[in-house]
Amino acid sequence: MSHNSIDVVILAGGRGERLYPLTKDRSKPAVPFGGMYRIIDFTLSNCVNSGLRRIYVLCQYKSHSLTRHIQRGWLPFFSSPMGEFIYTIPAQMRIGETWYEGTADAVFQNIYTLQQDMPESTLILSGDHIYQMNYRDMLAFHRHHQADVTIGSVAMPVETASQFGIIQVNADYEIEGFQEKPKRNPITLPHDPSHVLVSMGIYVFDTRVLMRRLIEDAKLKSSSHDFGKDIIPRMLKKYKVMAYPFSGITGNGYWRDIGTLDAYYAANMDLVSVTPQCNLYDPSWPIHTVYSPYPPAKMVFSGGENGKRIGTMLDSIICGGAIISGGRVERSIVSPNVRVNSYTEISESILMEGVEVGRNCRIKRTIIDKNVIIPSETIIGFNAEDDRRRFALSPDGIVVISKDTMFE
Amino acid sequence: MARILIVEDDIHLQLLLKDELHEDGHEIITAANGREALDVLNGNRSERPDLIIMDVRMPKMDGLETMGYLLKSRQNTPVIIYSAYASYRHDVMAMAADAYVVKSHDITELKTKIHELLHV
Repeated sequence: MSHNSIDVVILAGGRGERLYPLTKDRSKPAVPFGGMYRIIDFTLSNCVNSGLRRIYVLCQYKSHSLTRHIQRGWLPFFSSPMGEFIYTIPAQMRIGETWYEGTADAVFQNIYTLQQDMPESTLILSGDHIYQMNYRDMLAFHRHHQADVTIGSVAMPVETASQFGIIQVNADYEIEGFQEKPKRNPITLPHDPSHVLVSMGIYVFDTRVLMRRLIEDAKLKSSSHDFGKDIIPRMLKKYKVMAYPFSGITGNGYWRDIGTLDAYYAANMDLVSVTPQCNLYDPSWPIHTVYSPYPPAKMVFSGGENGKRIGTMLDSIICGGAIISGGRVERSIVSPNVRVNSYTEISESILMEGVEVGRNCRIKRTIIDKNVIIPSETIIGFNAEDDRRRFALSPDGIVVISKDTMFE
Repeated sequence: MARILIVEDDIHLQLLLKDELHEDGHEIITAANGREALDVLNGNRSERPDLIIMDVRMPKMDGLETMGYLLKSRQNTPVIIYSAYASYRHDVMAMAADAYVVKSHDITELKTKIHELLHV
């Protein structure tokens, strides 16, 4: 391969158990987000916007939805004659006969593919993070420091340390150690005791080093075959291991691992705030997805016969094909082809594609999965006990209505 | 001494190695390709080898593919890749071996590597 060549490997095999029931029929990266996107669209957009167009997406569980999304939405971005590609690779079991055991095992099982390309560097990404990042900056940092591996990292308030893998660096951002979700005494940044450095779980490797480390790791019975837990910690001292300090396209360092229903809900709600931390409206960094020919969104009834039938939407995202017909929607995400009918009030909720809500409903702090039909007069999100009996509830009390829910 | 598994499809070379290494006091098991080698390794625990000498170009399952299976099953028996070709050295699966020796008439280098790996 040519000098400076880069292959991207996106780990998209996550089962996403803590996102259940949204992950009942799809893997975590394929979960809809922000009305018209899937979670993986953020990572893929970052790749394309960074000019990285040689991409392997490694998937395994329930990968049909993800594969279909990539084929419909993403293939047009890649020019085969220019050497560009996006391939979704299910667990092939070519080496061994098991599903992927860990993140490193997923790449190890595809090591022949990397060998055929033999890029100078390999960028390993996760398919379930929401952020806007130019990977070229991280690659330049990696080369400037002549690192063997560089980990993407982001500063987070010290109070949140117990949720993350913490990186200990010196003043030059060379990595000296790790702490996994420290309950007490987290190691803070060298010159900033109020922040810790968190691993984003993304890596740039010199490909030869990557292969050698994967082979060595594969031999170890005691290894869980994970980049963060096994491969990288064993490289300290013997290799040059750097942390790249991420700040993002907007410079605010916004990065979210969509690990739980509550994190998912919060990242969606960020989008409907007046100035979201994740900026979908930056023309220099567009987030792409499957573009379907939806008709324009519409709101109807400015009073009706009785003067009370008013279709309104406030502090919300509304996608193509949606019709707010005499209902009121506030601080919510309304996906394509959603219908909200008269006298219904919806607030702080996520309505996925094709959801239809009947008349006189009151719905609050609820995630409604695709194509669910909510009958008239339904009340959700006002009585936790009542909700718990009928639906899934997140630890923070967000109601989740799964795809196949039938109402009587 | 040690039990050595020779994986080699060339019957003449197999015999030659068997004689030479037997003279050094080793017990020798043979396999004609990767599949037969895996059968030996997955077989009776008491007959597992202490070291494997692995040819690369063999029918049914070649030496590099066999290395993949060995890695995946975490069989950490030391392996010497013994090939007439030097170029496989750069294959990712050759990285998994403990030594790489290019075949020649003089088997001193092979014997040295065997000695090194058995006495670590």
